[in-house]
Order: sequence, then C-alpha cells, then structure tokens
Amino acid sequence: MPVQIPPILIEILMNFSIFLIVTLSLNLEVGYAGIPQFGRVLAVLAGAIVAGAIPGRLLVLLYNIQVEWKGETITPLGSEYANHLLNFPIIEQINRDILYPNPALSILMFFLTLFLAAVFGAVIGYLSSYPALRLKEAYLGITLLAFGDALKLIAENYQPIVGATQGVFVPNVYGWIGRGGIQFTARIAIMLALAGLIFLFIERISKSPFGRTLKAMRDSETAANVYGVNIPRLRGYTLMIGGAVAAIGGALYAMYTGSMKALTYDRVTWTFWPWAFMMLGGTGNNFGMVLGVFIFTIFRTLIFSQKFLLEAVIPIQVAWLEYIMIGLVIVLISLFRPQGIIPEKPDPILPKSHIERIRKKVVGKKE
Amino acid sequence: MLEVLFPALVISSGIALSAAGITIIYMSTETFNFAHASFTTLGFFIVYQLLLMYGGSPYYYFIPAAVLTGLVGVIVYFGVNKWLLKRGATMVTLMMSTLGVDLILFGFINHWADFIREVFGGEPRAFLLRVYDVEVAEIFGASLKAIVPISLFIVLVIIIGIHTFLTKTKFGIAMRTAIENPTLAKIMGVNIEYVYVTAWFLGAFLAGLGGAVLSMVETGSPYVGIRYIVPLFAGSIVGGLYSVFGSLLGGFLIGLSQQLGIYALSVTFGAWITGYRPLIPLVMMVIALLFFPEGLGGIKWSQVREKIGVLGGE
Repeated sequence: MPVQIPPILIEILMNFSIFLIVTLSLNLEVGYAGIPQFGRVLAVLAGAIVAGAIPGRLLVLLYNIQVEWKGETITPLGSEYANHLLNFPIIEQINRDILYPNPALSILMFFLTLFLAAVFGAVIGYLSSYPALRLKEAYLGITLLAFGDALKLIAENYQPIVGATQGVFVPNVYGWIGRGGIQFTARIAIMLALAGLIFLFIERISKSPFGRTLKAMRDSETAANVYGVNIPRLRGYTLMIGGAVAAIGGALYAMYTGSMKALTYDRVTWTFWPWAFMMLGGTGNNFGMVLGVFIFTIFRTLIFSQKFLLEAVIPIQVAWLEYIMIGLVIVLISLFRPQGIIPEKPDPILPKSHIERIRKKVVGKKE
Repeated sequence: MLEVLFPALVISSGIALSAAGITIIYMSTETFNFAHASFTTLGFFIVYQLLLMYGGSPYYYFIPAAVLTGLVGVIVYFGVNKWLLKRGATMVTLMMSTLGVDLILFGFINHWADFIREVFGGEPRAFLLRVYDVEVAEIFGASLKAIVPISLFIVLVIIIGIHTFLTKTKFGIAMRTAIENPTLAKIMGVNIEYVYVTAWFLGAFLAGLGGAVLSMVETGSPYVGIRYIVPLFAGSIVGGLYSVFGSLLGGFLIGLSQQLGIYALSVTFGAWITGYRPLIPLVMMVIALLFFPEGLGGIKWSQVREKIGVLGGE
C-alpha cells in the first residue's frame, strides 16, 4: 500500500516549499542587505526558463531524437523544439523512452537543471548589481521591477526559447519513482527537503560574518564603508546568492508543474506576494519567513478549496477576495506592525558561553 | 500615418495626465504611488458605469470620473498614507503600502466588473467607448475623432490651471514651499496636512481624468492598470519626478514613442514586433533612471548648448 497524501495537502506543501524558497531569497536581499528587490520575478522566471529550455534540448541532442517537420526529418533543437505542435510529442518520447526507465539519468537531469538555474540566476543577480550600485531605495526598486517585466515580455514573445505564449513542456524527472500518489508524495518530499536545505543555507549565511556585515551595510552604509567593507562587492554577492536561490525556486516550480508558460510568471504572484509573506512574517528573520509563508499558503489553499461553498455565502468571487485580503494584509502590516509577527532579533556577536569565559577570565585576574 | 498619429496623441495625453498625478503625489509626500494605474482604471470604470446608468455621451462623465477618483485618493491618504508619513516611514514602506492599496483596488475593480455584468449587462471586461465618439473632420482620408482635439485641450487646460494654481494662488505658493522645505513651511504656519490632502486629491484627479481620456481609444477592462503602470511610471520618471510639467512632457514622450515607435518598427521589421511594445517605456525608464536621474526637467540646457558649441568649434 503506497503512501497517499490528500491532494489538498499536496497543494499546500508544494506552494509552501516553492514560496518559502523564493521568500527566503527575497529576505536575504531585502531584510538583510536592504536592497528593495521589486523584481524577484526576474530570477524566478530565469530559473523556469532554464528548466523549460535546457534539459529537454540536452536529451534530444544526447539521444539524437528526430522528428518529422515540413517533410524533412530533423533534430529539433532551435525553434522547432519550442513549437507547440512538436514539443508535446518530443517531451512524451523523452519521458517514456529515456527518463522513466533510467532513474540515474533522471536524478542527474534534476540536479543539472537546478545547478544551471542557479548559475543563470546568479548571472542575472550579478547583472542587476549594476543599477543596484548606482540607485537607491524606490528608484532601484522600480528599475528592478522593470527588469523583471522586460524578461517576462521577451519570454512571452520570443518563441524560439520557451515557446512564447504557448509555452513548452518540461521533462518529467520524477517519472521513474512510480505513478500516481507515490510519485506526488516523492515530489513533495524532495521539494520540502530542498526548501529545508535552503532554509539552513540562508540561516547559516545570515548568522555568518557575511550576514552581520550585510546588516551593518543595511543600517549604515557610510559606517560600514569606513570600517573597510567593500559595498559594491557585498551587494553583488548578495544579489547573486539571492538570484541563484530564487532561480532554483522557479526551476523547481516548472519541473513540478511539468510545463513552462511565461504567462504564469507575473509580478504579482512572484514579487508582490513574496513581499507580503515576508512583511507578515517579519522582515530580516528567517523563521518569520517560514511562518509568513505557512499562514498565507494555508489561507490561500483553504479559501480556494472551499471556493464554491464560500461563493454561495459571500457576494464576491474568491479570486478577487484574495487580492483584497492580501492587499489588506500589506496595508495593515505596514500601518500597525511593520516589524512583522516575529521581529528581527539583534545577533549576539559572540556565543554567550564565549563571553562568559572572557568575563570569568577578566574578573578572575582582578581577584 | 495619420490614423496612427491621432490615437497616439490621445494615448499620450492620457499617459501624460496620469504621470503628472504620480509626480504631484511623489513631490509632496515622497510616496511612489503604485496604486496610480488603478486610479486610471477607476477613471475608465466610472465613465462606463455612469454611461450605462444615464446614457448620453461619455464626455459628460469626464469631470465626475476625475472628481470621484480624486476622492478615492483622499480616502487613501486618510486611511493609509497619513499615518505612515506621521511615523516617518521609509520610502520603501510608503511604496509597499500603496502596493497593498493597489491590490485592494484591483480586487475591487474586478468585483465591480462582475457587478456591472450582472446588473447592467454590457461587456465590463472589454468595453469600447470609442463607438460613442463622433467624427469632427476628415484629414487626408483619416478620420479625426472628437477625442483628439478634446484630449489636447484638456492637457492645455491642466497645464494652465496647475501653473496658475502654483504661482498665483496663496495656497499654491504655500504648497510649493511645503514641497521645497517642509520644516520651514511648518514654521511659517503652512498646514502641511492640507498640502498632502491636496496633493493626493490632485494626483488621483489627474489619474481619473487620464483614465477617462484613455477610455475613448483603449479597450476598457480591469487589467488596464496592470498594462499601464509601467508607461505611467516611465512618463513620471523620464520627466524627472520633481516637475509636473516635466512629467507631462515625459508622458507625451513615452506615449508617442511607444505608439509611433512601434509603428515605425513594425513597418520596417514586420508585425511580430508589436508584441514588444511595452518594452519601449521600460527601456526608456531604465535609461532615464541610470543615466539621467534628474529627468527631462533636470537637463541643464545651457550646459548642453555649451557642449554642442564646443563640439561645433572643434
């Protein structure tokens, strides 16, 4: 008897892990480094583009898959791969003949996709450090927002990469595990584990000297500069790490849903919602992110699962109600509790036991 | 060419008016108003709703749309912005709070569209008000709709009105003082609160008016705001963010370059390029932010002339 998780729980856990990853990366940039990242969708979309464009083409090339197109037999790598007529049969063939019978290759493809997404995300982060060094506050926020919109626009219109509005399918790297319930259980377990790892990674970073320097830079750039902190390099690293993590989130999401449509990656869902989650949980506190994402995910999934029940009672569609609720949360949090549910705590510079030891030493000497 | 130019002029006027609203709110309260494009959408919907209820021509409802949207701006000020300004919140918090307002308005407008559909029928998710417009002349075979001269006239009236308000009236001068130096203005007895309320009313008023103008050429839907937020910001930023007239000019520049520019490009490269139309304001905005942070209003023309003179002399 395979393990079965109810669909609603799968939905909750999937959204939870993806948005936790994205929100953690946002918190690193906003909460720790003070960069107003209004273009989170940029790196997320970059990750999804990698998942949609690269693994499939790589397998086509490796296994020399050929299709009939306009009377000729070709190896579909360019715009033919992303063609909406050809893409589905190609992915079908890849899944059935190559990935399902070959667990090792599937696992390899999974990690390769995540790795490439992280690299691409880091490159994007590095590129966005160009404006981040020249602009401040809201101006930077709007520039980053414009970058995100621009990439979405290109992905939506330029067919050869990921099929423009039609989108492309993403090879199923989970197929070898089994069919139905057990596969979804495994998917959720893998995604949760990855979200947990990323949580530990970000938490470790933020507790490290690097994280403390980030906070110093956020609180007073001039003071940090006086103490010899290289601000441009620090901002560049933060944007690269943040971009890489967010891109992993995007690639995971694309691999989970099995398709990559640029239309899905709008700025409301992938920039503004993570901001709302972050503000609710407590900017600058990674545990706050877990709580914020958890509350919102439960709330959203529950109102959507009870959609028909709710719409019989209230005179407004649930989709619009959701916008109003999230908007209200943002407004109320910024009015009444700007520090969020779990406020940021000042970091002790040394562990307490260490300070005690020094104190004993000093006091002992005096006696 | 003219059949492209005429709607381009109207769209540019709409963008210019709304962008000037962003600038007024930003100058006075340091708040980047993310909800501004939703205000513009409100302009669309107020005109449509009143037209469905009372009939006649959409032009009757331009002023009501502007005033009602202005009142929404006042509500946003008293509900949200006032308290954050009092606390001395950062620019990013101010911006985030208006984002919350934007999401609320988006939900509300969508619900309103459902309501219109149920009660009045019609097509609230794709309405065309240009069918109510009249043709005033035919120039070289292109029909000149009434909205073209009317929109340009509105922009002219707004320019004269704002100029008179800011230079000739006592309150307008007090408002300029409060923008230049809030502390000093407070000491001199200017009620800074009035200045903020006026800025929000005027800003939202212009957005509503811009929306009403745009509704005569664009298809109305709850998604107008999502499509227009970037051109509006771009107009305001290219205009330099600290000058109302700069942003009117910036709005025209953005509107004309996105409409005419994409037309010129599509003639050269083919129709596929029209999908990239929104890229034009994006690129212009980023260039303005990175290279001309002072905007059009901040370019020192005397220096430019000198530089050109130097180049000419060599």
